[in-house]
Amino acid sequence: MGVFQRLLPLLYIPTVLWCAGPDAWIPARWQGGPLEVARRVQLKTAPAVGPEQEALENWYDPSTLRLLEGSPINCLLVTWSAGSDRDLIRRQQEVVKSYTGSARQSGAAVIGVVYPGPNAAEAATSAAAAGLDGLALDGDFPADFAAQATRALAGRPVIPILQAAPAARTSSAPLLGVEGVSPRARNLADMGIRSAPSSEPWIESNIWLVRSFRLRPGAWHPVWISYETEDATPADYPLFAADAAIAGGRWIINLDDKFRAALRARDAAALAAWQRTGDVLRFAEEHAAWRDFSPFAALALIVDPASAQADMGEEYLKLVTRRQTPYRPILRSSLTAATLAGFRAVLATELAPPTPAERQMLTAFAENGGVVIAGPSWGNAPKGEDQPYAEQPQGKGRVVVYRDPDPESVARDLRDTLAQAERGVTVFNVPGVITYSSSANSGRCVLLQLLNYSSSPADDITVRVSGSFTSARLFAPGAAPAKLQIESAQGRTEVAIPRIALWGALLLE
Amino acid sequence: MPDAHKNFSRRDWLTLNALAAGAFTATGASATPQSAPSAPAAPVSVAKVHTYDEDLVSQFRKMFDQIGGIGDKVRGKTVAVKLNLTGGNRFEGYTAGETHWVHPKVVGAVTAVLGQLGAKRIRLIESCFGRRRESRLEDKLLSGGWDVNALKNAAPVVEFEDTDSNQGQPYGTFKVAHKPYVFPAFELNHSYHDCDYFVSLGKMKNHEEMGVTMSIKNMFGVTPTALYGGRERIFHYGQVQAPAGAPAEIDPKSNRYEGWRLPRILVDIVGARPIDLAILDGIISTVGGEGPWVLGAKPIKPGILVVGHNCVNTDAVAMATMGYNPRAGRHEAPYRLYKGPNDHPPEQLKPADESFQYADNMMLLAEAVGIGSADLKKIDVRGTPIKDAMFEYEAFWKNQMPKEKS
Repeated sequence: MGVFQRLLPLLYIPTVLWCAGPDAWIPARWQGGPLEVARRVQLKTAPAVGPEQEALENWYDPSTLRLLEGSPINCLLVTWSAGSDRDLIRRQQEVVKSYTGSARQSGAAVIGVVYPGPNAAEAATSAAAAGLDGLALDGDFPADFAAQATRALAGRPVIPILQAAPAARTSSAPLLGVEGVSPRARNLADMGIRSAPSSEPWIESNIWLVRSFRLRPGAWHPVWISYETEDATPADYPLFAADAAIAGGRWIINLDDKFRAALRARDAAALAAWQRTGDVLRFAEEHAAWRDFSPFAALALIVDPASAQADMGEEYLKLVTRRQTPYRPILRSSLTAATLAGFRAVLATELAPPTPAERQMLTAFAENGGVVIAGPSWGNAPKGEDQPYAEQPQGKGRVVVYRDPDPESVARDLRDTLAQAERGVTVFNVPGVITYSSSANSGRCVLLQLLNYSSSPADDITVRVSGSFTSARLFAPGAAPAKLQIESAQGRTEVAIPRIALWGALLLE
Repeated sequence: MPDAHKNFSRRDWLTLNALAAGAFTATGASATPQSAPSAPAAPVSVAKVHTYDEDLVSQFRKMFDQIGGIGDKVRGKTVAVKLNLTGGNRFEGYTAGETHWVHPKVVGAVTAVLGQLGAKRIRLIESCFGRRRESRLEDKLLSGGWDVNALKNAAPVVEFEDTDSNQGQPYGTFKVAHKPYVFPAFELNHSYHDCDYFVSLGKMKNHEEMGVTMSIKNMFGVTPTALYGGRERIFHYGQVQAPAGAPAEIDPKSNRYEGWRLPRILVDIVGARPIDLAILDGIISTVGGEGPWVLGAKPIKPGILVVGHNCVNTDAVAMATMGYNPRAGRHEAPYRLYKGPNDHPPEQLKPADESFQYADNMMLLAEAVGIGSADLKKIDVRGTPIKDAMFEYEAFWKNQMPKEKS
């Protein structure tokens, strides 16, 4: 084999990455340069003078691109426009333009981040001139700004990073970012809250947020999750990456000042954490086919974005996920008898009140053996303070009527109000874990993904799934798939998972 | 002002040996019952066991022998073992079984020994999911990461029952054998009478409202919430009366303060369903509260097991190994309390009969009605002497409780 032939793959890979469309971009917020320092000073969040400030200011030294070697990250979000100082913006853009050339050689696309300011309109023109691959709009911009920027960029992507998820779900942007939370698990007692014995750690997670975008019709498109990390250590970054990736999203990797400085200094522990983060991202891409799986759930959760209490709907999406009950969200506007087929239960507290047609449909669902969970407008809600809900038999099924439903209580009670078969999947011994169930091949293949938010491994987990399966394999980043033993009885399958360090994916077939 | 944190140190232990029986009673608050001369005393075994990986089967066989043996009581019999499982939250880096549940290896070892001694049937019981549509104790155990199959195989016949509901059989009425304090009787799951020998297998830990949890406090969980509803409203605070079909409390106008009320109800429960064998797991435990949901609570490693025929004797000895005076009064540790103002009804923060929050000593209340002696001078402690086993819980909880303003 000649030299050229041996080098050919090396030449090919970056080209492929660079040529990859926006759906294949794996983003990292790559902040730096004089403009970023000035922006941070204005926000009063500038790092102290020293290595952290130096790393921020000099981040666009080509040496930082070494971090992309062996990493799946192929899209850098660089500071492009902010504030009103034209000279500073011009200097920044010169630095970035030079860096962009080097980044391209490393196989990365470069997206300019624009923050609101008097010069934002010029940012698109200058980005087009500099040959950037697109822009990300971080903050509140005039309604027509994105369209103008798209025209200026001749069709290259303009990616809005939106604060509110409901607005983001109605966005027509093919690629968008949405504000998330910095993931972590904390015991309530550590937060100064005396909780109940049945309480579980408070987990901040974006899994529910990513999966909520599956309400949008059509094929999978990535959702970028944006947030600044809180009290993070380098060891947390693999968790952050996995948190967005499990349901098919992508975290816009956002280096905190300490981590950035440590990476620039080639600190061994920081580089190891960076490597592990890359392993997680690679694992997600290796299993990209999982993104096409449908949510696997026996519970339908009806959401109504047009409701005056749309925030309440967001809470249901978040808290039912936190309480480990798999669900599939269904838009109120698409609620029909056909969409309810195959479900065992419907959480319909958002229908307040249900229309006569909705009520008829839900009554029929219960008559046929389903469980409807409704609010007081259904009628016959309990009156006593010590009775939050009452169960009413309805044909072969039942209706659970809440006196005053709140998402936290309803989500918690699902373990009581629904039998295990009505929940579809039950996972035991996972107080620090969030799960996401999905399926393919008409339910013949079920994937249960588990993400451990605790700093200790999750041990001795038992998974119980409705249905019969003959094979169970556990996938995890950096590990070979492991075959697990299956116990089947009474129409359900039980699998014991010895340990999950961070991300485990149990594939039942 | 008495120091609520003053604990029962090794020095106190030595002092106690020089005191006449009942001397500590004099330091208790006036509401604390005096020693009942007729309360029985039986041997109690204490052992230092540093980890759950030790040979616990041999350890329990030895401890059972030290208290005179249980073989003749369990051979060919049905033995019910009431576990102490409580809430499912965790301290970071610990399992529930290590810190605030009894540990699965302790349960497995006890089950194995009972099987070796010829028990015909061993029923592991605990109240878990009274409101749940499927209430299976096995699921509660799985939620703690237990190996249920290993437990099933620890003895020839091992069964499980969630006693938080009637499980399709009628509840049994259990009358309090002594003069009751609050309730004359309780309705309980059939498993509490469908047994020939009854074991309370508890954790040896602090409790936010009761001071300590041991074999007597473990019995609180026998009350089925499927019948009684939430235990706090009916038992802790007396805000509601017993539902139709359950025995009513004797005096609905009696003191509603939980520190007065609940210790008495616990003694009533033990009077209704007597304990034949008390086993306490203090190998790893929790100080400052009964679990990680209590502010300030934290894991500790006392390395102690305690076993006895009499639950009051056993709890008294265990309490001494925790560094507490088993005859402590309301104003002494661990019974002088601080309860978070945001987490309790306002009336529970200010008892009508004291200027401070307290819990009455349930062992002295049990002693007063003749269930067993809490007097260390009367109890034959075997195995490891108390002074050698002692692990001072309060020493590991220093500065956790807010100091009272003078």
